[in-house]
Amino acid sequence: MISPYILNILIFICIYIILAVSLNVAIGYTGLLNLGHVAFFGIGAYTSALLTKAGVPYIVALICAGVFAAILGFLLILATYRLKGDYLALATLGFNFVIYSLMLNMIFLTNGPLGIAGIAKPSIFGLAIKTNFSYFIFVAVICTISVSIIYFLMRSPFGRLLEATRDDEIGLRVLGKNTFALKSKAMVISAFFAGIAGSLFAHYITYIDPTSFTLPEVILIVTIVIVGGLASIKGSIIAAFVILIVPEALRFVALPSSILGPTRQIIYALILIIILMFRPRGISGRVDLK
Amino acid sequence: MVITQLIANSLIIGSIYALVACGFSLIYSTNKFMHFAHGVTVVIGGYLLYTFFTLLHLPFYLASIVSVILTGLFGVLSYRVIYLPLKNKGSSNAILLMASIGIVILFENVIQLVFGADIKTIGYLDVAKGMDIFGASVTPLQIVIFIIAVVLFVVLYLFMSKTKLGRNMRAVADNSELARIIGINDKRISDYSFFIGSCLAGVAGILVALEQNLFPAMGLGLIIKGFTGAIIGGINFIPGAILGSFILGVAENFGIWYLPSGYKDAIAFGLLFLFLLFKPNGLFGIKKGVKE
Repeated sequence: MISPYILNILIFICIYIILAVSLNVAIGYTGLLNLGHVAFFGIGAYTSALLTKAGVPYIVALICAGVFAAILGFLLILATYRLKGDYLALATLGFNFVIYSLMLNMIFLTNGPLGIAGIAKPSIFGLAIKTNFSYFIFVAVICTISVSIIYFLMRSPFGRLLEATRDDEIGLRVLGKNTFALKSKAMVISAFFAGIAGSLFAHYITYIDPTSFTLPEVILIVTIVIVGGLASIKGSIIAAFVILIVPEALRFVALPSSILGPTRQIIYALILIIILMFRPRGISGRVDLK
Repeated sequence: MVITQLIANSLIIGSIYALVACGFSLIYSTNKFMHFAHGVTVVIGGYLLYTFFTLLHLPFYLASIVSVILTGLFGVLSYRVIYLPLKNKGSSNAILLMASIGIVILFENVIQLVFGADIKTIGYLDVAKGMDIFGASVTPLQIVIFIIAVVLFVVLYLFMSKTKLGRNMRAVADNSELARIIGINDKRISDYSFFIGSCLAGVAGILVALEQNLFPAMGLGLIIKGFTGAIIGGINFIPGAILGSFILGVAENFGIWYLPSGYKDAIAFGLLFLFLLFKPNGLFGIKKGVKE
């Protein structure tokens, strides 16, 4: 049997693999520097938690989490499709904060800063997932399915069209392709899987509040994508392992939690800055961040 | 009177946003990338004052001047250590922005490690009773904030239009290639713009520390407001950025008159969104802000 500590890390790694690979669809493959990914993650978590609380079966709530995040993904790209690069990054970061303040202020729905506690562990077709080990198997299965779907989509002609949108949008338009449709499909796919990851997160932790979906979380996911390399699914998976395991070394130094939290953030920030300065393509990136 | 109180509040918070925005806009116009870490620079200014004045008991004015200058040097350092090497490698603006966000997270957490996550007060001024001006209650400190901000804007305007250095800066902002051809050292200009912009951030930090107290994560909110103000007015055009910040102050204060106060930040973002979408070069922006 694997120790609970290792299981916990593995479950988080699976969730972050889904987040990073889905964000790579937007940033890496389509060239949309989206810093609003955590908003989709949060929406997925809240949707799934609230629906199961209302008595909806888990599997339906899981899919609704993805669909609802995908709808917001479409709205976001609808609002920002004319923006590029750093402007798009800041606008999407803004979207994050709008969603955050909605989570904080729509108290009748989200219970505001107190968050939602006692989220049930999932049960699928009468099969209850009680232990952490079975939850890990469940998350690993969903993670494998999600990554496979994204992998095959990105290798398909559709994936190549996305990469063409990133590399030469005007050229693609000249060929008669609707680049807005391509960008919105990419964003919808990216947001859908982030919503799924949100649901997995909420039902694992069983408690969510708005502070789980703020800037440090954005940095963590974006760092995984940049360290892994743009347009590289393999890179994102390896980077998720590396980035989540490295700060675990701190646990063995027995630091108090008031020091542990900031130190972990400092490590992530330094990794991000150093990678950008010395190896901007990360582990196996194929393109540069533009 | 509710209206006069709202106007007074808008002017006070607008002055702080405008101080943040004009430094951000100055750095943007000469360097053409988003120095998102400008917000954490403001916080560093505030914590430096806390260190020199509250912890080390230096005289207030000396502590303030030292803090402002050190904050300016922090700006130059971030340019020299991080942005310049990245620029020399031909990194895109997106990479510079991500590095800048990295700096924000780095220093926010360094401050938290050194000073702790709790709220710090400077303790220079006693809590003053508000004076009554046209039916609005305003403290003497708030009047000082407004006056300092206006004086600095005038000084900055005179500097940019009357001195050689200021004119060189505007030349680089207008067309850096042409400025290089006529012999302006654009790296030196970048140093100066980071120094002056970050000094303004230091002043903003001190004023915020006196008015609202200090906590490590406050920089993010400030840069978002400053950035929004700059976008509203035109990011390349400093007077526009100042005016845009006051517009943001008005929108926020009148907005939360109708909405719950928790939506204050969402109002700023709503405006930011609208301007990025429909008027990305701002109300007074001369050049197009969004790159084609």
